[in-house]
Amino acid sequence: MKVARLNGELADPAAPAWGGAEAVSITLGPVPIGAQPTAYIREAWAGRSYGTTGAATLAAASDGERLYLRLEWPDGATPNGEFQDAVAAMFPAGGDAPVATMGDHDRPVELWFWENGRGPLRLTSRGPGVVRKEAADGVAARGDLAGGRWSVVLSGPKPAAGKPVGVAVWDGSNDERAGLAAVSQEWLQLELA
Amino acid sequence: MTTTEAKTRQLAWVYDLNKCIGCQTCSVACKVLWTRDEGEKHQWWMSVNTMPGLGTPKGWEDMGGGFDPETGKPRPGHQPTRGEFGGGFDYNYQEVFYGGTAGKAHLEPQGPREGRWAMNWDEDQGAGEWPNSYYFYLPRQCNHCSNPVCMSACATGALSRTNDGLVLRDEEVCMGDRFCMEACPYKKIYFNYDRHVAQQCIGCFPRIEAGVAPACVRQCPGRAVFIGDLEDEESSVHKLVKTWKVAMPLKAEAGTGPNVYYVPPLSPHRLNDDMSIDTETPRIPPEYLESLFGPGVHGALNVLKGEMETVRAGGASEILTTLIAYKWQELLGPFTVDPATLDRSNGGA
Ligand code: SF4
Ligand code: SF4
Repeated sequence: MKVARLNGELADPAAPAWGGAEAVSITLGPVPIGAQPTAYIREAWAGRSYGTTGAATLAAASDGERLYLRLEWPDGATPNGEFQDAVAAMFPAGGDAPVATMGDHDRPVELWFWENGRGPLRLTSRGPGVVRKEAADGVAARGDLAGGRWSVVLSGPKPAAGKPVGVAVWDGSNDERAGLAAVSQEWLQLELA
Repeated sequence: MTTTEAKTRQLAWVYDLNKCIGCQTCSVACKVLWTRDEGEKHQWWMSVNTMPGLGTPKGWEDMGGGFDPETGKPRPGHQPTRGEFGGGFDYNYQEVFYGGTAGKAHLEPQGPREGRWAMNWDEDQGAGEWPNSYYFYLPRQCNHCSNPVCMSACATGALSRTNDGLVLRDEEVCMGDRFCMEACPYKKIYFNYDRHVAQQCIGCFPRIEAGVAPACVRQCPGRAVFIGDLEDEESSVHKLVKTWKVAMPLKAEAGTGPNVYYVPPLSPHRLNDDMSIDTETPRIPPEYLESLFGPGVHGALNVLKGEMETVRAGGASEILTTLIAYKWQELLGPFTVDPATLDRSNGGA
């Protein structure tokens, strides 16, 4: 997808500038239960549905310095107060990392992570939920809930040309966290202008 | 990330439920020492509840977790909620102390009354019908299990076992995913909603390293709790658990290998309808005690009764002498250092 070259308050998901960016719908699916990292998670969640967010809309823009990713998706049920809605942008951080399992042991992915009421965090993921916190390194995020839809802008230093992006969404009202996410099924190339 | 190879000791606690008076000194000692920071108001790493009762968190005995005794696989568990733990109330101090409302306002937790709960909320309710009602106190902390399902459930590898057999969390690594809380059959892990990490008893490891007994042990006015190395055959905990078999773990069938043990409570005599004393039937139903402490509980109670007979007849009992703990320091195992004698010039706790 094209990364629009825009000026304006791109960190704000409601900024009018975003009207100038192409938006694409990304199909999401649950991280496979067999890929979940611990026996407890596999046993406890085998019979529960998770990764229930079916799609998210992605728009990408840059001001020349930073990459801004605007994600929008329908909010789930009323939060239960225990887990929060969250979203991440994923980038391969070593080799041909698999996107649908959020990386694996030898092929990590980098996450720009935002959670309602918390964050942003920059994480290295070596499989679903197998994450380490990293220095923020300029990663920022801002989220808005309006009309039953989340819109979140994740931003960070513009990655090297040719880096693809993936998306992960967690529905907190369904106790989704860690590897219990809805993720892109394939990497999406970013065409940086 | 099992570190059992390097383990040199297995710390264990033994709580004598015949001596625990439910005074909460242990839980308050722990609270004052460890859980006074942000997000910790509702946390009671040490909790004492009346049994039978719903306990802390409310209804924890029915929340699953642990391992399936038949398949050995981890069993799904309920994620205890903030409401089920309860407590951490805000009070109307301002109104009562400074509001000019003397005689009218009284201290009470703020927020909705309905569904209110807290640690020790059902104190002294117990069970049974008068005059044969019964209850006892059950102090509970993280069991520092030998097969900790919290540790194996965690996706980030935040938990590990120390050389002392304590189960500790690296809060830098913890992502707050709370699979540990779901998986722990004892529901002794709290969530810090402000700092977004799970937290539990740390076995007072900084005290242990300085030779000081954990706060729950050192502060207990009932002389009800022992600590020591379970693998040291000379230790009181080893003798009570392994040699004399008068102390047993709570709900061992959950398969996590808990290292906190309990001397089960003896019962007062039952009263018949005509108020005569029935010395044959224990007031606490044996099957209830078995549901908590396993089938070994009956043998343990028989040993205790036998020893009491021996002493009544003028004999000596090493078991009772140990449990009575004439010398307070006997409870502390090797951790007899007085914390008041430690050098705190560097500001350390
Ligand atoms: S301090 Fe001792 S007697 Fe008091 S509640 Fe705790 S274990 Fe029981
Ligand atoms: S009691 Fe629960 S939290 Fe503590 S070690 Fe055992 S399983 Fe883990």
